Amino acid sequence: MHRLLPLLLALTACNGVIGDMSPQPEDEPAEVGPYAPAEAVLPRLTGVQYRNVLVDVFGEPLPAVTLEPDTNPYLFSNIGGATTTLSERGTALYDDAAHAIAQAVVGDAARRTELFGCEPAAPGDACVPDGLGRIGRQLFRRPLTADEEARWVNVSVELAVGDPWQGARYALAGMLQSPFFLYRAEIGDPIAGEDGWRRLNGYELASRLSFLFWNTAPDAELLDAAASGALDTKEGVLEQAWRLLEDERARDAIQHFFAEYLDLGRLEGLDRDPERYATFTPTVAASMRSEVELLVDDVVFRRDTDVRELFATRQTFVNDELATLYGVDAPDATPITFVPVELPESGPRAGILTTAAFLAMNAHPTETSPTLRGKYVRERVLCQTVQPPPPDVVTELAMGEEEAATLRERLEQHRRDPACAPCHAFIDPPGFLFESFDSMGGHRTEEAGMPVNTSGDLDGIPLADARDLATMLRDDPRVPRCMVRQLHRHATGRLEEQSEMAALLELEDTFAASGYRFRDLLVALATSEAFRTVREVTP
Amino acid sequence: MSASKKLSRRRFLRGAIGGTAVALALPTLEATLSSRARAEGTGDPFFGVVFWANGLPWHAGHGGEQASAGMPDLWTPAGATAESPLLAELQRHRVSVATGLQPHTEVPSTPPGQGDGHMRGFMVGLTGDRIRPEGFDHPSHTLTALRPTLDQYIAKHPDFYGDLPTRFRSVQVGVSTARFHDYGHWNAVSYNGPDSLNLPILQPSQLYAQLFAVPPGADVLERRARLLDAVMDDARSLQSQLGAGDRMRVEAHLDHLSEIQRRFSIGAGTCEAPAPPSDGGDLLQKTETMGQLLAVALQCNLTRVFSFMLTSPATTHVFSNLGVPDGMHKTCHDGHWERVRAIAAHQMAAFARFLDTLEATEEPTGGTLMDRACILGVSEYGEGWKHGTRELPVVLAGGASGALARGVHVREDGGNVVKAHLTILRALGLEHESWGWNGGEVRDHLPGLI
Repeated sequence: MHRLLPLLLALTACNGVIGDMSPQPEDEPAEVGPYAPAEAVLPRLTGVQYRNVLVDVFGEPLPAVTLEPDTNPYLFSNIGGATTTLSERGTALYDDAAHAIAQAVVGDAARRTELFGCEPAAPGDACVPDGLGRIGRQLFRRPLTADEEARWVNVSVELAVGDPWQGARYALAGMLQSPFFLYRAEIGDPIAGEDGWRRLNGYELASRLSFLFWNTAPDAELLDAAASGALDTKEGVLEQAWRLLEDERARDAIQHFFAEYLDLGRLEGLDRDPERYATFTPTVAASMRSEVELLVDDVVFRRDTDVRELFATRQTFVNDELATLYGVDAPDATPITFVPVELPESGPRAGILTTAAFLAMNAHPTETSPTLRGKYVRERVLCQTVQPPPPDVVTELAMGEEEAATLRERLEQHRRDPACAPCHAFIDPPGFLFESFDSMGGHRTEEAGMPVNTSGDLDGIPLADARDLATMLRDDPRVPRCMVRQLHRHATGRLEEQSEMAALLELEDTFAASGYRFRDLLVALATSEAFRTVREVTP
Repeated sequence: MSASKKLSRRRFLRGAIGGTAVALALPTLEATLSSRARAEGTGDPFFGVVFWANGLPWHAGHGGEQASAGMPDLWTPAGATAESPLLAELQRHRVSVATGLQPHTEVPSTPPGQGDGHMRGFMVGLTGDRIRPEGFDHPSHTLTALRPTLDQYIAKHPDFYGDLPTRFRSVQVGVSTARFHDYGHWNAVSYNGPDSLNLPILQPSQLYAQLFAVPPGADVLERRARLLDAVMDDARSLQSQLGAGDRMRVEAHLDHLSEIQRRFSIGAGTCEAPAPPSDGGDLLQKTETMGQLLAVALQCNLTRVFSFMLTSPATTHVFSNLGVPDGMHKTCHDGHWERVRAIAAHQMAAFARFLDTLEATEEPTGGTLMDRACILGVSEYGEGWKHGTRELPVVLAGGASGALARGVHVREDGGNVVKAHLTILRALGLEHESWGWNGGEVRDHLPGLI
């Protein structure tokens, strides 16, 4: 299948190409060849995944353990897990955690009996090996090989010192440090007739599915489906994908994706100048995040509707703090109760880009930042690349000749510098649309004693304010395209390659055909050829 | 089930006498000293990096625009001794300072932006090489090093520890938790190589747990070490199926497992653990708390290499205690010279507070930790207003067991900053003919310091 890559308007020297990877100049159509897979990566479990798997396998309570923090280059912790090399301290923390968890599980008589389902009389009794095989299948997301089983059973005998449970404890602590548990290996089997292609085997596919839909390891039913060959057919995958989606765990996993895609981590440690924002507290920042999560849950799960509504809807959820900040009536709202509200038709707000979360995390403690807000629209919402500033430019915004110069005026002066103009002409105009919102996300009509001016534009199309932008983004094809791209990155743990563009375009089409329902996009991705094939690794 | 392989009976607890572990991690005693250190009458030198973000207040030395601001140079000493207003707090520790230095590595034009002060100065100042460009132009600036930072280079140099590696080859500590990007790579100043970073421990309680947790008995440690043999067998079997890049990641994981086995074989330390610290406190208090823990670790030879990140590169730390309402990075961009000056003075006060602790820690062989110290104080660029990399600040603190001159000011206009690295390597007795990469090679160390 050959198709033209959708064009972007070539606006300025700064305008990047969607997806940052595309080697073509943006004003020339790129030919998209047929799909060919990319090399798989080896993601290490993220902190959340590690915890989720252990809770699935051992139940709660589990001791609190310290792990090395995740990294999230390109926004996603799955990409961090696939690129960042584990440090020595990280390795030592895994060792300590493994022993602490094994001790909690096997050191508790009731718990170990339940887990192993028997009571060993002596080291080497069938009870321990059977249990280790069963637990190992969950931890490694596949049955243990004969060698592996021998290895861990051997540990359980050698380190038992006469106590079979001690042996089991060591074996568990070892398996919890095995790279087959800590890393998601996707090797695949060769495909006849397709040179260099490999198809993920049933277990590998089961693992990909469950980490995408649940952010944890496969459950017994999914592993059984892998064992039976049910996942070798598209129908089988489809059935499992819908089953996973219907489970509560999918809600958390999808929230996790949206939090990374929308970069909500930046709300942590949010700080506002107390002189200007006396009402700001760290709990407000947490409420801001909750609002976005509730919006996502509403659109994706509760209403299962066009996900582009996120950018334009006037339905939202507020607790008492946010109701005050937004100036809306919400009598039932309390500090911990969020209630649905409809924002006024004539008001300034619609969509997630007018939530306090977006407005505050893209602003400074003392003043707003049309640049940060515009950059977010470009990079996060439209997947465009904004080039870094050239070296040795003056980044200071002059205070202007008059004392009361607004930030807009100062930025406009900045753009007279030819070194700065191309990028800032690309970034700032959509950012100006949000100037009627202060640094905490509250509505304002004045800045520095002057009426605020919210006019701006996106790619040369003049817009009056953020409401106008919301309406425009609602139908901008770059928005769902970006979402597809980001979901693919999250799901594969890497950036897309040129050879995969055909698959991504096809996903876009399926997404559109479904009425842009996010759950359908997930299922389309899970059942796509791109999700189950990898290229042979370069030795 | 296939035939089981016997777990290796490694030679364990080299120092075990009558079943009791004798730790190799002992306070430095005459018997364990290298001949050179013995001749100097002090212990082996230790190396540390102290990093602070966003450079110094700008002045004419940084370039044309910075000159037009007309602000005085409060850093560069006028004469041959290290005396200046911003060095005032550090002066009580007779630190040496090198001025006029800057990165000399080439700056490839694609992808654009590699001249950016944060990343160029950061990587050259800490590794001697330029940044790895891949991913740089992405919104997340997935900055990474091409090679190890100096602390890791030294910690793994075969002649540094020789046959007596300490319990921890290195320890990474940080104070401010403020981040510029959330992506991880901006939150560390210690790298092993590309995409391989050593994130600092940011909480005193976690540092305490790492350094002073009471390890289990020798028999338990032996079993834990033997268990890692089985883990490594799994790792090797995975490794054989991977491509080159991932094989290297698993190889690094294997190396770490071996290092942990080595640590188990050393057994318990004989350090007298200090009282458990409390978390929290402002930059100065936390620096003091972290510094005290680190000083105990250095004194009882738990480690001889560390990095101490006061603030992370491009920090957004809000110095509200100094009346600065915005994050430091923005404050620099906005050209608030007086505020940047106050912050720089504050960061130097924190640096000095850490050195106070080292100075107050006496050694069994006489003298204090400052006599053994070889500390590189460095920031990511010269100044933050324009992110200029000229006049990159370099402080050398401590006597390196007699090898390093103290209280000296060395100036080389436009000199190569990696000369400071070569100076340090030679002061530590790690002879190198040259240092620096990609257009930034040097053969000479800074004059007058060794």
